[in-house]
Amino acid sequence: MSDDEQSEEPQAGSTTRRHALMLGAVAATAVVSIRPAMASTVGSVLNCEIPVPDAGRAGNYIAADGSLVPRNTPGAFAPSPRPFTGEQVKAAMDGRSLPGTSPQQSRAYTAYIRRLQIGQSGFTCYSSLLNTRR
Amino acid sequence: MGPVLYRADPPEARRLVPLDALDLIFHLPSGQTHLVSEPVPQVLGALAAGPADAAEIVSRLAAAHDFDPAGAEAVIAARLEELEAIGLVWRA
Repeated sequence: MSDDEQSEEPQAGSTTRRHALMLGAVAATAVVSIRPAMASTVGSVLNCEIPVPDAGRAGNYIAADGSLVPRNTPGAFAPSPRPFTGEQVKAAMDGRSLPGTSPQQSRAYTAYIRRLQIGQSGFTCYSSLLNTRR
Repeated sequence: MGPVLYRADPPEARRLVPLDALDLIFHLPSGQTHLVSEPVPQVLGALAAGPADAAEIVSRLAAAHDFDPAGAEAVIAARLEELEAIGLVWRA
């Protein structure tokens, strides 16, 4: 019989120190699993979507550096009429253009996506793309 | 239906990090992390001696631990089902 994982306290004199174990109730949950984002998103990453820009700021244009600017700003691009999939963005990060865009437009959209922050629509999709690139 | 025997990976397949009243278990084969309370680490430790059913685990635990034996087997059986659901034990 091998040792328990818990290290026992050293014995004091002839008294054996025993560990008191809280068994809890049958119905009590004793386990919470923390699933890494990477493990749960690998399967769906290519299908997740990234709107450019997110719906809350759909009236804005996207400047060449990826920032959002008022509509009709010279040199900026109109919002994408449809969100891009994770697979399309992944390909764009590898040097291809996003579908239906000019190279400059694709670069502006990709810059916007790179600047996404937590809480913005598409951020989870984008961050899981980064995980799968490792 | 006879007693259900459970088996677990050897202790080397897990990293156990005590966090105050809870323990964090990182299971290397699956890459998953689990936050568990007593008696889960002790049940996994008891399975290091080989496959066992709930009754056998209770008797292994009793060799080194003090606990209320009333209803212990039902509690351990419930924990084994939870552990099976997250892949830390499986039916032998």
